[in-house]
Amino acid sequence: MASAANTNLNAVRETMDVLLEISRLLNTGLDMESLSICVRLCEQGINPEALSAVIKELRKASESLKASENCTN
Amino acid sequence: MATLDQKSPNVLLQSLCCRITGKSEAEVAHQFQYAVRVIGSNYAPTIERDEFLVSEKIKKELLKQRREADAALFSELHRKLQTQSVLKHRWSVLYLLLSLSEDPRKPSSRVGNYGALFAQALPRDAHSTPFYCTRPQSLALGYSERGAALSASVGTSGISSLGVYTLNGPTPTPQSLLAGQPPQSAAGGGQSLGSRLAWTLPVSCSPSTLALPNARPLGPPAPSTRVVHPRKDGEVSETALVRDILYVFQGIDGKFIKMSGPDNCYKIDSKVVLCKSLRDTSSRLAELGWLHNKVRKYTDARSLDRAFGLVGQSFCASLHQELKEYYRLLSVLHSQLQVEDDQGMNVCTEGSLTLRRLLVWMYDPKVRLKTLAALVDFCQGRKGGELASAVHSYGKTGDPQMRALVHHILSLVSHPILNFLYRWIYDGELEDTYHEFFVASDPNVKTDRLWHDKYSLRKSMIPTFITMDQARKVLLIGKSINFLHQVCHDRTPPGKITAASKSADTPKDAAELLSDLEGAFQEKIDAAYFDTSKYLLDVLNRNYLLLEHLQAMRRYLLLGQGDFIRHLMDLLKPELARPATTLYQHNLTGILETAVRATNAQFDNAEILKRLDVRLLEVSPGDTGWDVFSLDYHVDGPIATVFTRECMGHYLRVFNFLWRAKRMEYTLTDIWKGQMCNAKLLKTMPELSGVLHQCHILASEMVHFIHQMQYYITFEVLECSWDELWNKVQQAQDLDHIIAAHDVFLDTIISRCLLDSNSRSLLNQLRAIFDQIIEFQSAQDSLYRSALEELTLRLQYEEKKRQRDEEGQWAVTEEQEAEEKRRIQEFQDTIPKMCSQLRILTHFYQVAARFTSQTGHARGFTATRPSHDSLCFFQSIVQQFLVLLMTSSDESLRFLSFRLDFNEHYRFVFQSAGQHRN
Repeated sequence: MASAANTNLNAVRETMDVLLEISRLLNTGLDMESLSICVRLCEQGINPEALSAVIKELRKASESLKASENCTN
Repeated sequence: MATLDQKSPNVLLQSLCCRITGKSEAEVAHQFQYAVRVIGSNYAPTIERDEFLVSEKIKKELLKQRREADAALFSELHRKLQTQSVLKHRWSVLYLLLSLSEDPRKPSSRVGNYGALFAQALPRDAHSTPFYCTRPQSLALGYSERGAALSASVGTSGISSLGVYTLNGPTPTPQSLLAGQPPQSAAGGGQSLGSRLAWTLPVSCSPSTLALPNARPLGPPAPSTRVVHPRKDGEVSETALVRDILYVFQGIDGKFIKMSGPDNCYKIDSKVVLCKSLRDTSSRLAELGWLHNKVRKYTDARSLDRAFGLVGQSFCASLHQELKEYYRLLSVLHSQLQVEDDQGMNVCTEGSLTLRRLLVWMYDPKVRLKTLAALVDFCQGRKGGELASAVHSYGKTGDPQMRALVHHILSLVSHPILNFLYRWIYDGELEDTYHEFFVASDPNVKTDRLWHDKYSLRKSMIPTFITMDQARKVLLIGKSINFLHQVCHDRTPPGKITAASKSADTPKDAAELLSDLEGAFQEKIDAAYFDTSKYLLDVLNRNYLLLEHLQAMRRYLLLGQGDFIRHLMDLLKPELARPATTLYQHNLTGILETAVRATNAQFDNAEILKRLDVRLLEVSPGDTGWDVFSLDYHVDGPIATVFTRECMGHYLRVFNFLWRAKRMEYTLTDIWKGQMCNAKLLKTMPELSGVLHQCHILASEMVHFIHQMQYYITFEVLECSWDELWNKVQQAQDLDHIIAAHDVFLDTIISRCLLDSNSRSLLNQLRAIFDQIIEFQSAQDSLYRSALEELTLRLQYEEKKRQRDEEGQWAVTEEQEAEEKRRIQEFQDTIPKMCSQLRILTHFYQVAARFTSQTGHARGFTATRPSHDSLCFFQSIVQQFLVLLMTSSDESLRFLSFRLDFNEHYRFVFQSAGQHRN
């Protein structure tokens, strides 16, 4: 049981490594944690189109906020 | 492992938000909500779910960027990924990565533009009207849709003006709306969430493309008035006007724009210096304030008025709801103004509030408010179903937006009505405290008249979306249930009567029912109607023997049971011949019982026999038992609903008529018997033969007449109508059908039996004929009596003569012969006496008068006078009767006349009588 869990964990880790590599290749700008969250969301069947839209929007928002903070500062 | 523990998407999303923006959970609340909505809106991906295609796309993308090595590396990695079985949605992950990928050689396009974002918010609103969406799919959804539109507008513009909301918090409600739950959504959350976010998405996804072009046409003119023109002295700034207008929108007087009493409208202070266009624009905007006041006044006045009723209350509530939406809009505008104030005038002038912008944004709310104000005007003084009708009539418009609004209000308004309706048709309870429902109940009516009088339709309160037919059925359903409970004492729970379960009828589907009146609603009513009526008829037939009673009426009151009636008449004859005052009910009841026991009636249901009784009508002086005797049938309880008092009255009249006709038949039988017995005896008196012959002719004429009458009554009146009634009763769907059929039956019988007012003259004629038959019987009886007396005396005289002869004496002495002559003379003298008696009786008839004017002297002829007299008299009455029959409008009566005078005997007599008269 423990070994099974272990091999499973290994497989997962390997998968995540591969995905991270692809992500880097494609220059998505996602770090390991974000990527894992995204993968989990995708696994739950969320539409990747929408998810990518959200991520882009969030980035924009945070950057514009930063920009405005800089501006006011 | 992370991918396996099933955290909810929301939690994941939240942590993603935190991760990307690098802020705490509280700070990213709005981004998170936005994310939830976007995700929620796109459950169905538009792309193909093919891993191969996605990977090919990625390779193509890499090749495009001239990174062949990377493409090869990706193929390798992808192959490796395929060997692992951890991921179920590999294509999904890959697609995500692809769409997030950016060409490293291009400068990052990620840096957003705050100004553009901010500016984008308002024009977007301007186009899709911030609160009331114009999209077609919004129509069915009404409120939830608008709420979504609101939250979306706050969501998109909210990213920029977040601070305002969290700090000032002018409208707490939008935030609760943003939390992702569909707030008042009636049609299922997921779907509406999806559909409404589907159209917020394109805007938010590509703000840069939409925002700027849209902002341009609106943007420039507004700031130019403020920026370009240097402000003149004393001229009011547009911002101040906007602030004023926002107050006016809520019905509060502003600094410059005030309610002017006499004109009943908002007006700009004439002293204020202002350019004409601004003045025009603001007065156009001020109309909203006036409309708002109108609606507000109505709701304020009515919402505390308890007597306004539930329908009225729900109307007020729906108006309130609309107003709330309107206030929400105002608060957003206010906060926008606040932001501008906080940031100073010179920052982001592009998105600032101007009168023109307000004019555009407020266009839709204005239309809505106008509709509401018109509704309020129209509904003034109406309540209940009338109010619903009024609202419904406003829904017949071609404008889809207005229709949606009115429809929504209607669904709220009709909610209480449908509530009443369901309570009524499933429980039979009327919870209508304010008399709003279209079924009215009269509490003064006792249970015996429950079916007929207790419940009625309030015609004015029938909403126009319910047809008259449906309303009648609804009335009938509830009435049946109440009838079962109160009159039949049937305590079956309503759930058992109607198969349709109540759970299906929560009034939530009020709106759907209204939109789908032909289908579900009609079906529901029909089903309830069918089940309830059927159950009621079953109970009446099974427990209360309705059909058996009906048959009993036919058998006893309409003389259907021939052997019983005949036997009863045999038994009653000696009793009824006596004066009416000497009759006693208990004697007659005893005879009735004897008759029942002796005939086939004894096999009838005891329940029915015990209801059979004798009734003596009111006695007027000179009446015999025949005139006052009547059979009676006691009805009570549920069956009294069918056999009402009026019905029993009708039955009584018909019975009397039939009884009389029957008695005539009976009498004629006696007459004929007498004739047969006496014919031989009286052969020895040749002077009587003429009279007797006349008697026989008259009797057979009467027999013919009465037979035809009886035939007519039995076959053309009773049996035909009865057959019709029976068919109808068998096919009846509800109690009303039975009652109606029964009433028709009785009416037909009454009119065919000449008992209605139209054929009064016919009936009088018939009565006269009947009287004549009785008269004839007594005349013939006395004739026979005196003739027989005379006969015995003569026999005695002959006997004596013979005896003396034998004894050797003189057969007759002078004295004896004289006495004999005197006696004969006397006998012959009594005949004119009878004749005059008859004449007095028939004096009132014109034809009889003709005969009385004649004087007969011949002794031999006088004996024939009475019968000849009455013969002619009878014939003339019959003639009149026939003439009346011929002119009758009833076909069967004309046929009767034809049968009565088949050989044209009466026509001949009539003609000869006419010649004789002339």
